[in-house]
Amino acid sequence: MNRNIRAAALACATIFSLAAPALADTELKIYISSQHQPNVWRKALDQYEAKTPGVKVTIETGGNTSEAQAQYLNTVMSAKDPSLDVLILDVIRPAQFAAAGWTSDVEGKDLSTYLPAYAEANTVNGKTVALPAFADAQFLYYRKDLLDKYGIQPPKSWDELKTAAKTITDGEKNPDLQGLSFQGKAIEGAVCTFLLPYWSQGKALTANGRLSFDHDAAVKSLALWKSFADEGVAKKNIAEVATDDTRKEFQAGNVVFAVNWSYAWAQSQGPESAVAGKVGVARLPAMAGGVPATCLGGWEWGVSAFSAHQDEAKKLVAYLSSPEVSKFMAINASLLPTYADLYKDGDVTKAAPWFAEALQVVETAKPRPVTPRYNEVSETIRTTVNAVLAGVSTPEEGASQIESRLKRILR
Amino acid sequence: MATTTSLKISADVEPRQAPWVRWLDLSDRSLAILLLAPAALLLALIIVYPVCRLAYTSFFSLSLTSGLPAEFVGLENYQLMIEDPVFWETTWNTVLITLITVPGALVVGLGLALMANLPFRTQWPVRLSLLIPWALPLSFAGLIFAWFFHSEYGVVNDVLNRVGLPGVIWFNSPNWAFAAICLTIIWKTSSFMALIILAGLQTIPRSLYEAADVDGAGRVRQFFEITLPLLKPSIVVALIFRTITSLQTFDIPYMMTGGGPGTSTATLAMYIHQNTVSFLDLGYGSALAVVMFALSMCVTAVYLRMIRTKE
Repeated sequence: MNRNIRAAALACATIFSLAAPALADTELKIYISSQHQPNVWRKALDQYEAKTPGVKVTIETGGNTSEAQAQYLNTVMSAKDPSLDVLILDVIRPAQFAAAGWTSDVEGKDLSTYLPAYAEANTVNGKTVALPAFADAQFLYYRKDLLDKYGIQPPKSWDELKTAAKTITDGEKNPDLQGLSFQGKAIEGAVCTFLLPYWSQGKALTANGRLSFDHDAAVKSLALWKSFADEGVAKKNIAEVATDDTRKEFQAGNVVFAVNWSYAWAQSQGPESAVAGKVGVARLPAMAGGVPATCLGGWEWGVSAFSAHQDEAKKLVAYLSSPEVSKFMAINASLLPTYADLYKDGDVTKAAPWFAEALQVVETAKPRPVTPRYNEVSETIRTTVNAVLAGVSTPEEGASQIESRLKRILR
Repeated sequence: MATTTSLKISADVEPRQAPWVRWLDLSDRSLAILLLAPAALLLALIIVYPVCRLAYTSFFSLSLTSGLPAEFVGLENYQLMIEDPVFWETTWNTVLITLITVPGALVVGLGLALMANLPFRTQWPVRLSLLIPWALPLSFAGLIFAWFFHSEYGVVNDVLNRVGLPGVIWFNSPNWAFAAICLTIIWKTSSFMALIILAGLQTIPRSLYEAADVDGAGRVRQFFEITLPLLKPSIVVALIFRTITSLQTFDIPYMMTGGGPGTSTATLAMYIHQNTVSFLDLGYGSALAVVMFALSMCVTAVYLRMIRTKE
């Protein structure tokens, strides 16, 4: 009797264990930066789970700066770890990840529906290696109320900005009020800090994959930022300021002009902000006699080459990159859409009125150099910017340093 | 000697060895080798194999971002290293940190240990306060002190201002940033030194001090004539540990400055990390790591020499 019961139990267990994989949900893990408002992405993912039975998506957050995430992903991907299925990648990384064989190609999506800059950034050697998550560019945030008070228009040149900032801070007599906040810490954003005035003078950093460095333009760029700190327009320890520091200080009402990405808008209008309703967003100023230039940002969704669920991951990426999700994130998280027509969409412009003008800015934004050795390029530029702003190197020395090191890297 | 006797005895009396030992008819030497084998295997797997692999990779040009397979280049990585100014700067920074923080932590640790050895009514609060800096993870300590030294929101500048001194933008200047880092490292490691020295202090018999009092020796004389000489073994042990780990300094400068401004506070371990994890240049990173390994081995050899001659 006992033997029969044991045999029956064993048979049942075997049948169930064989059937279990077929019944179990596919678990996908998606890697998102803690800076990207993962709580809003969670809502989009909940909608996906409702639409797609049998798939569960968990979010793993990590790294609140681009290079911190890059280090983490480098470690995970070098180890061929299958724990992450979908990754969010900074726009500068698809080239490196594809070269290292860390992403699976995502074919079958017509990239021409996206903004051209992102179609380009995600295509490596003719293959689509990732799909756009959201677009981004750097903008000039300003205090509409303060500019109106002193009868000043949003500045079109950096010199105008300097004058406007000084007028306002002198008039307000508030020791905590900074004229301009930008990123001087040695983070990825500091590369953009260097490139904004450089590009504004009409210069490019690379041409056909080779270095085309303009020494004088570089000196002028570094000298411009240093002058803001020296003349008291930016704070003396600007070399300690990261992207989120700028956002927080602007949100607290301590900054007149700020250089920041699009994500700061949603939070500046949110309940924690001291400046809700007083914020304007405009194109970044240009150098004297130059063209307005801004840095292309934005993030992409990639499928890990080591994921155990390739098809499910690709479907998820296609969903997250769709117009519906792009619109949802634009309205709820002020993440710029990757589809041109969404910029004029009524619901989107209700949430962020300045998106209508933002399209032109994003379409003319310049990408940072596309190269598998981008990490080294970035390290060179951002540490030099940091050193110049800290007063350790002069703009001249900084420009020479960048030139010599980039020559070695981008042979 | 004793073991041979016990073997002989065991033949007459009840056998004390495990059955399998007797069955295999092992001599003491073979038994020792067999018992040491698992530990040796583990050591080989965890230390010897990775180090050999590291040395092997250092002769190749291997960069994960190039998509190309590893290419044998002989000593080219080492040649690049010699010509690399950042390598020399980071090595010098590491040596400087060692030269400043090891004696610094020793002096502070000695003071702390002496204070902790005083007869307190309750010993445990003192011992606990000695233990906490050492128990705190390095990256936590780095983050905490990064905030302490923040030019606007930091405690250090606040205290300076209250005393009437101007605040310093610590991380704007290589020298001040270096000083902040050394201070943090000394704070963190002096408790470790103090604990080792405290153990040594407690082995010194009180009767020596009492005899010195009777002879009329002052406290200072007692310290130099009794305490220090008897503490020498503990001090040497503490110095060995501290110097070897100091060559591998990574966490605190990484959390506090990330190597900035520029590369003025970057250490060799940070440069290795940057080349391998950020730049994915495994060939060059391996060469750097081999150099650091060789440096650590030299220091270890020197210290071992010192201990041996003492005995």
